[in-house]
Amino acid sequence: MGVKKTDIVLLDDKGIRCDGRTIDQPRRIMIKAGVLKNANGSAYIEFGENKILAGVFGPRDVHPKHLANTDRGILRCRYHMQPYSVSERKNPAPSRREIEISKVIKEALEPAVMLENFPRTVVDVFIEILQADGGSRCAALDAAAVALADAGIPMRDMVSACAAGKVADTIVLDINNEEDQEGQADMPVALMPNLGKITLIQLDGVLTPQEYEKCIDTAVSGCKLVYEVQKNALRDKFFGDSAQ
Amino acid sequence: MDDIQRKYVIPGDVITTGPYRAEENVHLFGDKIIATSIGISEVFDSGVRVIPLTGRYLPRIDDFVIGIVKSHTSLSWELDINSCYAGILPASDVFGRDFDPKVDQLTSRLKTGDLVAARIANSDRSRDPLITISDRDLGKIEEGELIKIPPSKVPRLIGKRGSMIQTIENATKAIITIGQNGYVVVSSEDPDGLLKALDAIKMVEEQAHVPNLTERIQEMLGSNSE
Amino acid sequence: MTSAIIDDLKKKKITALLKDGQRIDGRALDEPRQITIDTGVIPKAEGSARVRLGDTEVVCGIKIQPDKPFPDLGDRGIFICTAEIMPLADPTVETGPPGEEVIELARVVDRGIRESGMIDLTQLVLQKNKTVIGIFVDNSVTDYDGNLFDACSYASVASILSCKIPKWEMKDDAPIKVDGQVIDPPITTLPVSVTMARIGDQILVDPNADEWGCMDARITITTNSAGNICAIQKGGTDGFTQEQLVKCGQISIATGAKIREIIKKVGGS
Repeated sequence: MGVKKTDIVLLDDKGIRCDGRTIDQPRRIMIKAGVLKNANGSAYIEFGENKILAGVFGPRDVHPKHLANTDRGILRCRYHMQPYSVSERKNPAPSRREIEISKVIKEALEPAVMLENFPRTVVDVFIEILQADGGSRCAALDAAAVALADAGIPMRDMVSACAAGKVADTIVLDINNEEDQEGQADMPVALMPNLGKITLIQLDGVLTPQEYEKCIDTAVSGCKLVYEVQKNALRDKFFGDSAQ
Repeated sequence: MDDIQRKYVIPGDVITTGPYRAEENVHLFGDKIIATSIGISEVFDSGVRVIPLTGRYLPRIDDFVIGIVKSHTSLSWELDINSCYAGILPASDVFGRDFDPKVDQLTSRLKTGDLVAARIANSDRSRDPLITISDRDLGKIEEGELIKIPPSKVPRLIGKRGSMIQTIENATKAIITIGQNGYVVVSSEDPDGLLKALDAIKMVEEQAHVPNLTERIQEMLGSNSE
Repeated sequence: MTSAIIDDLKKKKITALLKDGQRIDGRALDEPRQITIDTGVIPKAEGSARVRLGDTEVVCGIKIQPDKPFPDLGDRGIFICTAEIMPLADPTVETGPPGEEVIELARVVDRGIRESGMIDLTQLVLQKNKTVIGIFVDNSVTDYDGNLFDACSYASVASILSCKIPKWEMKDDAPIKVDGQVIDPPITTLPVSVTMARIGDQILVDPNADEWGCMDARITITTNSAGNICAIQKGGTDGFTQEQLVKCGQISIATGAKIREIIKKVGGS
């Protein structure tokens, strides 16, 4: 991990983090469903300084045809960062990191998406990172799940994602960019909240077995908070003022 | 006389628990019945289902649909019917049973970009849906403007016993043909009437969930008249 | 390759055996296959190893050479770990640019070793901010029988443990190799990766190709010599419950410790 450039205090003795949050406080989350005209489903999310757009097409014909599955639909996912999304311009060509994250996000959504009734089709999920902050893959997943529901793709459950991490020897919820660079561990997690299944989990950094369990717990609680925001985004679009 | 309990649901919402039959757009998890689509859940008799408020058109036999010709082979046309699958219109449906691909050119009747009023003849998930245009009120659409709305809004555009569509047609003197797949063709000899009709359809699409919509549409159409 | 079709009868047999806690090759649920490690197999490389994990085979070679440091990281050497699957490893492997599976494999193997801090990169500086030592670890999968993650990881770790770093001296800002002198790599810990598959409710360690083809989900957990967890990657089209994840953590620590004893025996070629 990087050389310290500044003397950021990651956690002071009052339990306040470098951006003023407490250890179990997530950053600000805003989600809007149905923001694009042409995509079958879409969503826009702001999660901390992350600004991410997700669009879904499908189920639709698969091209090239040899990728089609005769028994069920397939899911394709592309996580892509805009060149202006990070401080040093990012080359627009897909990097190995983006390809891995695309795969990991697809595998986080697959358990939820029900494509058995759509053989020989594909559901395409396109995620564009307009501005990146720590935890962009979780935010991307949160938008993608809302976009899939917006498109009417049948889903067993929503998928809600949030990261937890270790900073100054303490497990904290939803680490930001500075905490990611200077902290000790980063664990993004995605959860199907009603079925209780974790569909994404990765870790960079060192955790003791006890910290490992606490980190999962903390991330899961973050996922449940995000789930409420996703629900409201969909209810606002479809049920308007008559939402219960 | 409503014995049906209804509520708004999104995927993952638990609608109810207990010994119910899982019908459309729900799945069973243990003893919980869970919604798989955004929509309105209904618990009736012994079954639970969700009426979806979004999603592409799912073809059903005998549905009236409007399609756009995308391409053709020597034996059939492929139509975009706003579904996961293209609609297939066999050449024999148009040329008759003694259709001969060497003699009868498909493009002489329908070419790419043509709009077609059709019916779903057959639909099972293992094949693309079959289309027919061999009835009197079906066939190539020669004039009008195509507008697309989500299939879930079609019932609202038609209205109870056609009340909404009649309101718009009467006020604008336009003829509106509504496909169950959400493709709608509007034609009128009066260009103003055409525009008013298109606006009205857009308004229905955007405010489908707002009560008293028919009155508001009437107001909007009335206030625009010369 | 993970999409290679497993015939239905085999799938049924695997699931039926698992209901009684048995595996198709007779192993216990938390038992890895036999691990064979040979080091020094590529004498021209500064370090190398061939690992057989069941019938999965990986050849790993390390090239060590001076390089420019990464910007902002001028006080440490470079460590880069890659992996590729050779077309001769399996009939379904295609030539051409790496697909998402291979990219994930390479990145997961790299992260497991990097996050553990196995190599003390601060010891690999020749001239701060200008010239450092680069350790390039490249894995080539030559035969596929499931679980490339662990095979590549063990091959990389064994190669690193047994490699010899040449000595360079700086003369007029250029590094000159001093022939005949080598130093041992600065090792701080021994990371061990343990990959587990979930099939139904059972967690299996080191899935072979058949098990890999019918698993619901997988997870790779790397632990260090202190028994702490330093990297995790979940994969596959399904998920895990929280309880299953805790159990996987425990298994990775216990099984990891046993495998560490095997890898430790590798030392000098």
